[in-house]
Amino acid sequence: MTMQLQADAQPEAGTQLMKVRGMSMSYGFGASENKILEDLNLDVASGEFISIVGPSGVGKTTLLRCLSGLLRPKAGTIEVSGTVISGPHPDLAVVFQDYSRSLMPWMTTRDNVAFPLQGKGMGKVERNRVADENLAAVGLEGQGDKFPWEMSGGMQQRVAIARALAYNAKVLLMDEPFASVDAQTRFDLEDLVIKLKQELGVTILLVTHDIDEALYLADKVVVIAEKPATVVDEIITGFGEDRDQLATKADPRFADARARIMHRLRKD
Amino acid sequence: MKETTTAPGWLLVQRVAAIAILLGLWSLLIASGTMPSMLPGVIQIFSGIGEALTSSIFWAALSRTLLTALAGWAIASIIGVLFGLIIGSIKFLDRSTSILIDFGRSFPVLALMPVVIMLLGSNARMEIVVVSLSCLWPVLVQTIYGARRQEAAVADTVAVFKIPALLRFRRVLLPSALPFVATGVRISASIALLVAVGVEVISQAPGIGRQITLMQQAQRWDLAFAYLIFTGLVGWCLAVALQQVENRLLIWKRQEND
Amino acid sequence: MTSTTSILATRRGTVRKARPRSGDSFGRSLLRATWLIVVVLVAWWFLSANSTNFFIPSLEQILTTLGRDLANGVIVAGAIYSLTNLFVGLLIAAALGIILGLLLGELGWLRRIVDPIIHFFRSVPQAALVPMIIGVFGMGQGPKMGTIAFACMWPILLNTIDGVLGVEPTIRKFSKVYRIPRSLHFRKVVLPAALPQIVAGIRVALPIGITVMVVSEMFASIEGLGFYILNSSATFKVPETWAGALLVGVIGYVISLLFVLAERRLLRWYHASGSQ
Repeated sequence: MTMQLQADAQPEAGTQLMKVRGMSMSYGFGASENKILEDLNLDVASGEFISIVGPSGVGKTTLLRCLSGLLRPKAGTIEVSGTVISGPHPDLAVVFQDYSRSLMPWMTTRDNVAFPLQGKGMGKVERNRVADENLAAVGLEGQGDKFPWEMSGGMQQRVAIARALAYNAKVLLMDEPFASVDAQTRFDLEDLVIKLKQELGVTILLVTHDIDEALYLADKVVVIAEKPATVVDEIITGFGEDRDQLATKADPRFADARARIMHRLRKD
Repeated sequence: MKETTTAPGWLLVQRVAAIAILLGLWSLLIASGTMPSMLPGVIQIFSGIGEALTSSIFWAALSRTLLTALAGWAIASIIGVLFGLIIGSIKFLDRSTSILIDFGRSFPVLALMPVVIMLLGSNARMEIVVVSLSCLWPVLVQTIYGARRQEAAVADTVAVFKIPALLRFRRVLLPSALPFVATGVRISASIALLVAVGVEVISQAPGIGRQITLMQQAQRWDLAFAYLIFTGLVGWCLAVALQQVENRLLIWKRQEND
Repeated sequence: MTSTTSILATRRGTVRKARPRSGDSFGRSLLRATWLIVVVLVAWWFLSANSTNFFIPSLEQILTTLGRDLANGVIVAGAIYSLTNLFVGLLIAAALGIILGLLLGELGWLRRIVDPIIHFFRSVPQAALVPMIIGVFGMGQGPKMGTIAFACMWPILLNTIDGVLGVEPTIRKFSKVYRIPRSLHFRKVVLPAALPQIVAGIRVALPIGITVMVVSEMFASIEGLGFYILNSSATFKVPETWAGALLVGVIGYVISLLFVLAERRLLRWYHASGSQ
């Protein structure tokens, strides 16, 4: 029923949700100008899972800060649900890389998840109910009274995902969300995200430096590279709905796509 | 952190303006007549400071206070660092002394003044003792934390290579505790001046604190405030200077602290 | 910018706090923590027992005097008077310091402008302020409370600013992305995040407050613990002088101990998450 509730709120699959046109970003002026991003274009449709993959230091963090409205690009526009954004937008939620730092240690996990809803003006009973439902959706049923620091890293990141889900945004931006957990936990979290996408129909935009992760999760992989960074390739993965850590990664198409991305990234 | 870069010149202008606003408010308060008549106005205070700066009594008193504060601070620093390193590096002592040290640091030493005056009289020696007693705790507490905070890896290395105790004390314990020691020593320097002035105010031992009360008893409120404010300025300069020194000395520690 | 003893102390101290080993019984660790105090007290008792110095009474005499004056209410009335001043002063200092600190911590431009002013006020000798304020505003309780508030405010203010500046950048980002309204952000994000530093600031302010409390009563009062101490020494009642000073010390220690206990409860999240 949770699932139903969420799915209802999501727009019909295929609707254009985000549109990025000619986005450029740089720091400094004149001779000392340091260009980070140049002429980036991106389209995100409802129900899509897009991975943006690029090597370390290419400017992924800057890209994500621009997309989330924390940073204003120097040029170009970002449209969300048809309007150009000038700051954080209610249709966007972010799962930060650093789970242990993005959760507030003075709040229980339930309060952490419910807090943005309080910001939206939702009543206490209602927001606690939504928080508990979303905690259950990420596999943390009945753990609402625990504090984040009583949990493992993987569980903390689940809380952060639940918080993003509860916010009921149309697009989930994920900033290397599994970079700081161990390998097994990472696989579990990846499969959780796939499950959430299938069951709740959320649209996800994931930024990562890990090619395997990008391919395994996404419907479409956008490769960014060069300096200043721009989109150098786009790959439709075509693995369908059912994915398996072993089978999918053993798929010949997986190996082909992987080789293609590596090739693209090695060129510069 | 959002650090907007402001030109240093502009910031200075703004700071001066803020001080001017503060002085303006003070003048307004005086002019409004709601304050008691003893309170001197801005101009009176400034002319008071001018008078003080040319008065040899003032300078003699100030240097006397500074010297006493310095002596007390130096004694406290030496004792504090020495005992701090020993207590901090020996677990048994650390646990045994913790309540005693907590008691000492929360003890308002100035409240003990009448007792100290009874024992030692109203003189520089007494003042140095009280200043040292007040300054000891920050140094001691910080040094203990510094000495306690031995990295496990470093401790293992020392054990594996069988480093002799004295060498270990000098080359391992001391440097790793140094940032904490420096902080403690810096904090206690400000305390030294505050306490020295306080002692002089209470005990009438010679120094700037006594001058403040003398001026006040002579109904020279402008001079009393001028002395007080000037002493505050001296303390402020001292704190800023020491902070600079600490920052420079401990540059190697910077990246680790971040 | 500013670091006061107990910030560093609590901040770093908790990280490497030695947990008592499981084999240790409560009694043994209690013994380990208290034996030295017992030794000190016993030494004081016996060394001072045959004291011929008029100014050093025996501990027995001091304690007897203390017990007597506690029982007959002389000290209790004074202590109530003193502690009222202290608490009202501290309360005002905390309210002003925290509100201004939160504001200055968030408004970087304003902070940079008034920073020298704050540090100047912190450097003004508090004890010398006492005769000034009392001389100008009179001997009542109000000026005493005001002086305590003034002296205690600066460490609380500076620590609050430090606490606000120390708020985790990721949490700030979170607060922006999830469009947390400003007032909620202040109450539920900035204030709790800065609370450990604020509490540390109040702990620093506490002995300052007690000092000013005592000094203000030594200067101009016919009530309070400071008056008791000064009056005793002026009339050469040496044991009373010692008893008063000792009591002030014990009160200071007990208040700071209560504070630590309250902090442990209030900031459980801080100690627990910091030790990871």
